[in-house]
Amino acid sequence: MENDRKKLKEAADNWRKTVLDPRVERFGLKESPTRFYTPLDVEDHSFLEKVGFPGEYPFTAGNNPFDFWRAYANEAARVDYRPEWGGAGQVGKYGGFGTSEDYRDYLLRMHSMGRKGGPNIAFDLVTQCGYDSDSPYAEGEVGRVGVAIDSFRDFQVIYEAYTGDLEIDKVPSNFTINAPAAVIIAMYACLAKKRGIPLEKLRGTPQNDILKEFIARGTYIFPPQPSMRLFRDTCVFCTEHMPMLNINSIGGYHIREAGATRVQDLAFSLANGIAYVEAGLEGGLDIDDFAPKITFNAFGGSMEFYHEIALQRAARRMWARMMRERFGAKNPRSMMIRQPITAHIGCSSTTLQRPLNNLARAVVGGMAAGMSGSIPGAYPPFDEPLGLGHSMEAVQLQLDASRIMIYEAKVADVVDPWAGSYFMESLTDEIEEASEAELEKIEKMGGAVAAIENGYMPSSVARSAYERQRSIENHEEFVVGVNCFTGENEIEVNINRVMEATYDPERMKTAEERQKVHLSKLKRGRNGKKVTTALADLKEKAKDERINLVPSICECVENEATLQEICDVLRDVFGEAQPIRV
Amino acid sequence: MNRESKIRVLIAKPGLDGHERGARVVAFGLRDEGFEVIYSGLRQTVRQIINAAIEEDVNVLGLSILSGAHLALAKKIIEGLKEEKADDILVLVGGIIPEGDIAALKEIGVAGVFTAGTSIREIADFIRAKV
Repeated sequence: MENDRKKLKEAADNWRKTVLDPRVERFGLKESPTRFYTPLDVEDHSFLEKVGFPGEYPFTAGNNPFDFWRAYANEAARVDYRPEWGGAGQVGKYGGFGTSEDYRDYLLRMHSMGRKGGPNIAFDLVTQCGYDSDSPYAEGEVGRVGVAIDSFRDFQVIYEAYTGDLEIDKVPSNFTINAPAAVIIAMYACLAKKRGIPLEKLRGTPQNDILKEFIARGTYIFPPQPSMRLFRDTCVFCTEHMPMLNINSIGGYHIREAGATRVQDLAFSLANGIAYVEAGLEGGLDIDDFAPKITFNAFGGSMEFYHEIALQRAARRMWARMMRERFGAKNPRSMMIRQPITAHIGCSSTTLQRPLNNLARAVVGGMAAGMSGSIPGAYPPFDEPLGLGHSMEAVQLQLDASRIMIYEAKVADVVDPWAGSYFMESLTDEIEEASEAELEKIEKMGGAVAAIENGYMPSSVARSAYERQRSIENHEEFVVGVNCFTGENEIEVNINRVMEATYDPERMKTAEERQKVHLSKLKRGRNGKKVTTALADLKEKAKDERINLVPSICECVENEATLQEICDVLRDVFGEAQPIRV
Repeated sequence: MNRESKIRVLIAKPGLDGHERGARVVAFGLRDEGFEVIYSGLRQTVRQIINAAIEEDVNVLGLSILSGAHLALAKKIIEGLKEEKADDILVLVGGIIPEGDIAALKEIGVAGVFTAGTSIREIADFIRAKV
């Protein structure tokens, strides 16, 4: 062994002297523009310790030898399966607009077209920020980027589309909601109760990832600490009453899209993950009782194909180690990063300029996905940067690109095809070490909450975003069609964007007025005394940090208190988050 | 150019949308280009933005809008500035703006629209030429 190593080292030195250096010199370069990796780059590499087998600790090679979709890929090809329609037992396409009636009718229309997935709800910004449709902050925003939910009434109207074969014990729901997640989870529980469905049968995923809102996405309501108390309460409530429901969906994606580097994305996501795990433990739960229900939305992505594969491998290994060694998890599911997709390019890699190029970009991301443990999804559709709504042709091209990678290129016939590559193992180690160092920095500050309160994580993201912009403007980084190859010989490739009419623009226009009418009717018709009592009780309980607030929020929801009324009571006790200056 | 005569810019984010990468990058960038830059932070109402622009006596107001509400918001802000006799302030819009809406924005008085892929230098040169 030692002899082999010596021989290899001599050969490498010799290669450098006789082949590489002369070539570098011949082209007048200061250094080689490429690298070549050998066993010398991964000297202490133990395959079992660092990679292992797919489906086994430390999960570097993947959570499974193959996923559900791969098992049935051939059948899917024979029946013209369209994954974005959602089948029985899955959620449908992410969406939401207008009033709850508008969205319900849209869902019913989807069902009539055979698209029967569970609701995957986008909420409008008013709801996301904890206001009602009649708030001055709501003006112009009601029902815009999602559906407006002011009260339990609205929530129930949406679910009028889900009965019988599509009853909520049969289809899962996704709620892309963070700051007021406790209220939406309470509404879901109250809905089940009202329909006589046992809570333990409910499935789905609330995003419930408030920490990344402070770092990247900006729809926070309460300061970080009381926000984490609400997380703890939902975590405990879900674990005890809705054990099939996922607790949250941690997003590194948003952090990267806001400008974070790959290493920051990984380190900050894991720091947030640790904070959520600690909140569950603080709530008195056993690690293996709730950790299997923590999910990840996705990490961010980029065009750097190799690095994104390495990030996925490093992330799985780091999380698994942390869960087992630091938190003492024993259930393998507690150790897995459960996420719907692995690598991708990230929407911020797409360009407005020459948008069809984004298809080529998405395919690169799909290859990285297929090589890092998920379906080779060519995401996003090429017209992503052109504004809300993907055209039918962009979606068709996206789906076909993924199919070509699966069925023609056979990308997904090997799990972790890079396992054991000197280069990939070395790069995985490198990303792991750098992220570990960044994570340690955050831990020394006192963890994710402290690193938000002191501005460290948000400022780091903003700084990285600016550095990236500068490197593009200085031509240290090249983006095709944006800062290079933009001369007069380039042509604009024409596209048609045929939109499938999804949201009725007339309804969009009148949503705010109609929603306000419903709201005032609700306020007139409900039992005011019961509302006041429930809100007063919530306020009292909010003051005692030890009490789980979800049952009180359920009480408010059932008595038709509005989302803003509930949030206002909590604002009174918790205060409001202050914008983070960078 | 001495400190007193620096061009003053307010970068503002109207509405509830929290995606502020663009606003922050432009604020940092214009500062490095030698402007005096104030960034409003998130969730500013139309009224707050008009007041801030007047109180801070800015030459340029840059609105970052990604929520699709750019036409309505820009119109309200420009009308508000007019009412306050502050319509000498150069109003710019950045964000996700469909190409078809750019002419409409200019019609209501937006001086320049800058979408994804714009360099800071382009914005800086535009401001210097107009102010």
